[in-house]
Amino acid sequence: MANKRRSTIAAVVGVVGVLFLGWLLIRNIGLPEGRPLTTLSPQGEKAQDIQNLIIPVFIVAGLVFIIIEVGIIWMVARFRRNKDDKDGVNEPEQVHGNTPLEIGWTIVPALLLAVLAVFNVQTIVAMDDHSADAVQVKVIGQQWWWEYRYDLDNDGKDDIITATEAAIPVGRDAVFSIQSNDVIHSFWIPALNGKKDAMPGRTHQLVLQANKAGIYQGQCTEFCGLSHGVMRMQVKALPPAEYQAWLKQMTSVPAQPLTADAKAGQELFIGQCARCHQVNGLLPTSKAPFTYSTMPIQNYGKVSQTALASRNAPNLTKFMTRDYFIGGLYPLYLDNKEYKGDGKAEVMPKGVPNVNMIRSWLRNPAEIKPMNPDNNQGMPNLGLTEQQIDQLTAYLLTLK
Amino acid sequence: MAITEERPPLELTTGEDLAPATPPFGVFTRPSATSGWRGWLFTVDHKKIGIMYGAISFLFLLVGGAEALLIRLQLAVPGNKLLSADVYNQVFTMHGVTMVFLVVMPMAAAFANYLLPLQIGARDVSFPRMNALSLWIWVFGAIFFNTSWLLGGGADGGWFNYAPNSGVVFSPSHGIDFYAVGLLIMGIGSTVSAVNLTVTVLNMRAPGMTLMRMPVFTWMTFVVQVLLVFALPVITVALFLLMFDRLFGAAFFDASKGGDPFLWEHLFWIFGHPEVYIMILPSFGIVSEVIPVFSRKPIFGYPFMVGSGIAIGFMGWGVWAHHMFASGMGPISVLAFSLATMFIAVPTGVKILNWLATMYGGRLKFTVAMLFSIGLVGMFTIGGLSGVSHAFAPADTQQTDTYYIVAHFHYVLFGGALLGLFAGMYFWWPKAFGYFLSEKLGKWHFWMMLVGFNLTFGPMHILGLQGMMRRTYTYTQGQGFNTWNMVATIGAFTIALALVIFMWNVVSSYRKHKANPVNPGPDPWDARSLEWMIPSPTPEWNFDEVPVVEEFDEFWHRKYGHDAEGRLVQIATAEEVAQKGTAKNVHLPSPSYWPLVMSIGLPLVGYGLIFNLWWAVPGAILVIAAIFGWVLEPSTDPDAGHHDDHDDHGDDHDPSAAALESGDAVGETTDAPAETAAETEEAPVG
Repeated sequence: MANKRRSTIAAVVGVVGVLFLGWLLIRNIGLPEGRPLTTLSPQGEKAQDIQNLIIPVFIVAGLVFIIIEVGIIWMVARFRRNKDDKDGVNEPEQVHGNTPLEIGWTIVPALLLAVLAVFNVQTIVAMDDHSADAVQVKVIGQQWWWEYRYDLDNDGKDDIITATEAAIPVGRDAVFSIQSNDVIHSFWIPALNGKKDAMPGRTHQLVLQANKAGIYQGQCTEFCGLSHGVMRMQVKALPPAEYQAWLKQMTSVPAQPLTADAKAGQELFIGQCARCHQVNGLLPTSKAPFTYSTMPIQNYGKVSQTALASRNAPNLTKFMTRDYFIGGLYPLYLDNKEYKGDGKAEVMPKGVPNVNMIRSWLRNPAEIKPMNPDNNQGMPNLGLTEQQIDQLTAYLLTLK
Repeated sequence: MAITEERPPLELTTGEDLAPATPPFGVFTRPSATSGWRGWLFTVDHKKIGIMYGAISFLFLLVGGAEALLIRLQLAVPGNKLLSADVYNQVFTMHGVTMVFLVVMPMAAAFANYLLPLQIGARDVSFPRMNALSLWIWVFGAIFFNTSWLLGGGADGGWFNYAPNSGVVFSPSHGIDFYAVGLLIMGIGSTVSAVNLTVTVLNMRAPGMTLMRMPVFTWMTFVVQVLLVFALPVITVALFLLMFDRLFGAAFFDASKGGDPFLWEHLFWIFGHPEVYIMILPSFGIVSEVIPVFSRKPIFGYPFMVGSGIAIGFMGWGVWAHHMFASGMGPISVLAFSLATMFIAVPTGVKILNWLATMYGGRLKFTVAMLFSIGLVGMFTIGGLSGVSHAFAPADTQQTDTYYIVAHFHYVLFGGALLGLFAGMYFWWPKAFGYFLSEKLGKWHFWMMLVGFNLTFGPMHILGLQGMMRRTYTYTQGQGFNTWNMVATIGAFTIALALVIFMWNVVSSYRKHKANPVNPGPDPWDARSLEWMIPSPTPEWNFDEVPVVEEFDEFWHRKYGHDAEGRLVQIATAEEVAQKGTAKNVHLPSPSYWPLVMSIGLPLVGYGLIFNLWWAVPGAILVIAAIFGWVLEPSTDPDAGHHDDHDDHGDDHDPSAAALESGDAVGETTDAPAETAAETEEAPVG
């Protein structure tokens, strides 16, 4: 019968087609190269746990997919009404149902899912485990950047406040305690773990651990307003010695500006930028600060007794130690080879500072990243002259 | 519940003039036009209401589709500057809300309104004026919601509008006010409609139409109405809190004042998840009608189809927090909701296997309706499987809020709900309008749509797993998102082209029909359920005589019997069995002005809440006037004095059916013709 032959061919073509598509996908989507946010290339234990859970699920789902879809294709070819079929002649058998079959295809998937559920439960429980010596990092999400605080001596005062890029030691658990300063955000470094929401009024914990050194890209994944799409962050995993060096660098006395331009820039910073941005060690100004922050204003840092508070704008104390700026959107250094960890206790990124982007940003921040400063959301256009921009840039470059 | 009395049925002499006596109340006279624009505006006929639901929701499909095209244009290339972040946020929010509340739900309501009374053998729904009210409330609520575009911008917080981003501090435009008030208004309409249809199913079934003889579509619609009755109060509460936070300075969701953003998340998703089933189950019902007809086999495992539908509806209440696996609600909650979510896949799988089993061994005729139905089975399976993959909570923390989720729910709601609705359109079009849609253009429509759909949403699985986040207005070079985004944009325009073909099909088929009318007859597809037993297009009074139902697939069994080997044997042609549509003087509920008047009042109250409370005064006056008008307008019922009279012909058929049959409706019975036990002239007064 023609239908029989056709249906066999259709089924074979279907299976081959699906397998080919699957092969294409597996070949293409798991690779981390050129896909900094891929979820299928775990680089840490937690992400690996998730991967180990999801791969069997994908395989089972793939098999069911093949059975159903190829089944449809086969039936369409096998049971099609041919042109010479007449109603009333050789009509199909009128089957109303089959109770054992129904019970079977209720119970079998349920059992299959029950088996997978065991692994699901194990993984859910394991996600919150962390070692006792875990590094503690406070994370505060706000429109549209992330702040990190490290309290190194557990005295209740944060010793390092930085933004956009957090550092963790390779191989050691890091517990990120995630809060929000305004709306709900979500902290997500796909290579290291799943995401966790930053919610006002609550603190949520997320355990990150990296198996090897590198800079891991992240992205805010809970819709948080205008610039949600470009609210990025990085976690930099450093070998233990370099991590210690990083801590030392971040808590060291800041370098003072030496050139005339940089000094003028510092004055400008105190007069304009310091209304929102903090650089540890700078004296406060007479200008009234913006007051819309809902976070308690404290004195942070070891270096200064009279530090300015960070007021809903990134703390810029060691600005140039970061690899990225503008909410993690742009590299702060050009030709900066992606950090792989070379074992040397060198924490400053290499490459040429991305001066043009710093200037563009100072010229009109809202052009680089959508913001609404009239509503206290984001950085206002300060209307700086080109000379002032040069001076400020010179000053920012000294913040090491 | 019927109160049975020992009295002979009322008799109606044929040819009696049923025109109402002199109107007693002047302005409260009921309108009488049944054609022209008045016939549509003031109608209480469930069929006209259904058609209007369908037509207007299709217009909103074009609006939501245009918004979708804007989204895809913006994301076609990295760093695109076509839309600003602000406009993009409004567009994707309005796209989501429009597709959910202004397209899929009302389009399903179109089928429910049109078909549900026909499938249970009723003359109308239980409360015809309430039915008109729910239509117009929805229409004016939807228009109100869309006027936000002209009054300061649309809502910009996503369809889920998580607090506190939805508060006035972070979203100072009026968009989210329109969202809150608009959905509250539309919620009134949906609640009225849900109660109405629930009562209709329970009370208006034809003699012998027991619950387990109802067509699967009616069953699924019934489950949906029950879900709506319970889900809508939850979103109403949530929207009230949001409205008070925004308009009157309350702090329900403000953590710094002791409120909690979690409250909104839970309330929204307790509604939001059953909402998913509210959108998909009607299409499951439609497909369950189409596949048996074009396989020439009864639906496989009818009780399991019904049971799994009920199970989905029931379990749908225990899985809402799977939208919140990343929200930090704690491992115990995550565990419970993760397991519940995994197992809701079981009844869904049962449905898919039953559709396949219905096709197995059948003689498949690939009409456009059948193609769309098979398309649903294939595409929904993909959405179901990706759904299982994020039932696993740890996996979901990688997938949630990425394009993987966007792919998933579009496979469910487009590949599921929308394909099913198109199947229904091609299937019931001749019944509703008396002409066929072109099968040739329909096939173009189907294949373009299937290809376009997979091109658009298939790549989104890959984008999501590669880490592309949802609700982003842009992406950059070097993230690896370029290729698949371009493919998705091309796919979206293919879908748009398919929709153009559909519209052209409607127009050109109508023209062809006008030039050369060919009546499709009562039963063009050799179908199974009661609506095919009456002429096409459906007469205003539906059934000449209300059929007495003896079996599931009653109409089919009047046409076909079985021989000793279980083979089909035709015992009568459709024309022999079908009703002629020649009944005269069937008493039908009269049209009314007041549903429309009341519905116009509500958006005015809405503008008042948002801009200036004085606006609410004319709105409130209209609503109150409409309530008085509604109560005071005369019933044109010829035996208005006999409202307490209930049918009693329970001795002719099984008692359970008789007990369920009458309800509050007024009915009178004439002499029974030979083959039906009783002819009921049931018409509700509404």
